[in-house]
Amino acid sequence: MIELLQQILNGLAIGSVYTLVALGLTVVFGILGIAHFAHGSLAMFGGYLTFVFSTTMGVPFFAAIAMAMPVGAIMGMLIERFAYRPVRDAPHINAFIIALGLTMMLEGGNLLIFGADQVIIQTPYQKVFEFGGLFVSQLRLVVFFTSVSLVALVTVLLLKTKTGKSVRAVAQNRHAAVLMGVNVNFVSSIVFAISSALGVAAGALIGALLALAPGVGESFAVKGFAVLILGGLGSLPGAIVGGLVLGVSESLAAGFLSSAYKDVISFLVMILVLLVMPQGLMGKK
Amino acid sequence: MKRNLGTPLLIGVAMVLGALALPHAMPAPYYIHLLTLALIWIVLAQGQNLTQGFVGYVSIAQAGFMGIGAYASTLLAVNGGFSVWTTLVLAPLFTGFAALLAGYPSLRVKGHYFSIVTLAYNMVIFIVLMTFSALTGGEAGITDVPRPSELTLFGYVFSFEGRSNLNYYALALFCATVATTVCALVLHSRVGRVMVAIRQNEDLAEAMGVVTSRYKLFAFVLSAMLAGLAGTLYAHYIGFLNPEPFGVDSSLNVILAVILGGSGTLLGPIVGAVSVTFLPEILRFADSYRLITYGLILVVATIFLPKGLVPLVGNLWRRIRPASPSDKT
Repeated sequence: MIELLQQILNGLAIGSVYTLVALGLTVVFGILGIAHFAHGSLAMFGGYLTFVFSTTMGVPFFAAIAMAMPVGAIMGMLIERFAYRPVRDAPHINAFIIALGLTMMLEGGNLLIFGADQVIIQTPYQKVFEFGGLFVSQLRLVVFFTSVSLVALVTVLLLKTKTGKSVRAVAQNRHAAVLMGVNVNFVSSIVFAISSALGVAAGALIGALLALAPGVGESFAVKGFAVLILGGLGSLPGAIVGGLVLGVSESLAAGFLSSAYKDVISFLVMILVLLVMPQGLMGKK
Repeated sequence: MKRNLGTPLLIGVAMVLGALALPHAMPAPYYIHLLTLALIWIVLAQGQNLTQGFVGYVSIAQAGFMGIGAYASTLLAVNGGFSVWTTLVLAPLFTGFAALLAGYPSLRVKGHYFSIVTLAYNMVIFIVLMTFSALTGGEAGITDVPRPSELTLFGYVFSFEGRSNLNYYALALFCATVATTVCALVLHSRVGRVMVAIRQNEDLAEAMGVVTSRYKLFAFVLSAMLAGLAGTLYAHYIGFLNPEPFGVDSSLNVILAVILGGSGTLLGPIVGAVSVTFLPEILRFADSYRLITYGLILVVATIFLPKGLVPLVGNLWRRIRPASPSDKT
């Protein structure tokens, strides 16, 4: 029993990072209808950048993330402007193929700049707390609360500010939003900036919690989309619940079945949900 | 619908004859090796084109299904004692069966989400091939995958041993021709027209009473069977099998091949497969930039050349040629 609770607790930390990745994907998909698959590779780029700032230049962990996030935001805006905007009125499949091309470019760039070696971001959060037989590492707590605060911040941004209102207006009906005087190009840029900054933060947290290596970005992008499928497309609460469900089921799979097959098991969970509830856990009928 | 059946047939026969003559024009073993690989890639790309080009569903599992075919055939031949000629038929069937199981749940989601689910499949296949080493040999792989045994046709004996084997080239050409013919037949059948209708407007097709899921599943399974065939050809040609060529990167390359050549056309995957096979050889000087270059080609091609090379050349040809009466209609 205690072992079960322990695994669930471990899964919540990584699950919160999945939610962060999925949140970045879901805002882009909601506004522009783009399955921005390069998100994971951009997140890895941000993770590497945080590593360079914190380990090589000695900047504290959170300051390094704060320095990397604007870089990611600018890259996201450039990607939107020069890769996605030209195909905005083409079939959606073109944007997806561009996303695959961007993934290859970013993966190749990461490989070229940062090398093929596995990298772990060192943090000062090395303590382990014990609550009645349950062990919680300080690092997991930091990761969990960082993700939760970023998710909360973006939710408030989307729900309470004027910019957030225009973003949601474009998501509901682009043409109507244009008629009401919303600048769609500006909204697209902002959405990509927010999404990519979130991705960079997620990459940094992954680098601290697990490791950065070539190919990790792709697998995180797939998991981010798995969360969207699990939670229900375009649903914000769905992304949160889906991320935590994926993280916990992966952790349980690693703890009780086989750690080599944990990804296989988490994808099987996704496929099973698809079979039983095609609209996702929180999606509308 | 029956008009002009002769011209495509003539082009097809000319291409096959040209392909048969090509190794004699480029007799270096290195070229024969590349051409054989290109033919195997044609089988793979024609399969991808069925889903990506005809139905408009981009599957990112083609290399994974190629891996299933390659391993199924190799394991049947090495451990099961089957003749390679038998496994050449059995392995694609097995791959098709796997695709049937995989396609049923994944085709419940549309568009991008289908792509993501198939990507997850490719990752699962790759992880299993890597991890289940008792059967697959893991990363170290399986060495000494046998070539097909000698074949006696019309009193002639054809051997498939040795590097840059012309008979193996002919076998690959035969399979590429079969794959292209099957795709042509499907495209011009009622099923093919429904598939194209799904690409153009799936909701409308459903409203017309078409059970779209059935056609999507058919395309997906047939596509995977061709991938399985390509994998079988690949395994018995290279003679060594490990999971590396069956990862997500290879699946992305197949998508690149179809886009570059021209998705939704029959010639496109052929042009694309040949380009993608020869491109790395041309780009060899820029090895560390290869992934970036590939990605850039994919992005630029999708923005500026969304229909691919084949329709582009066709348009140019029509512009250069003096207008014939049939063009004016």
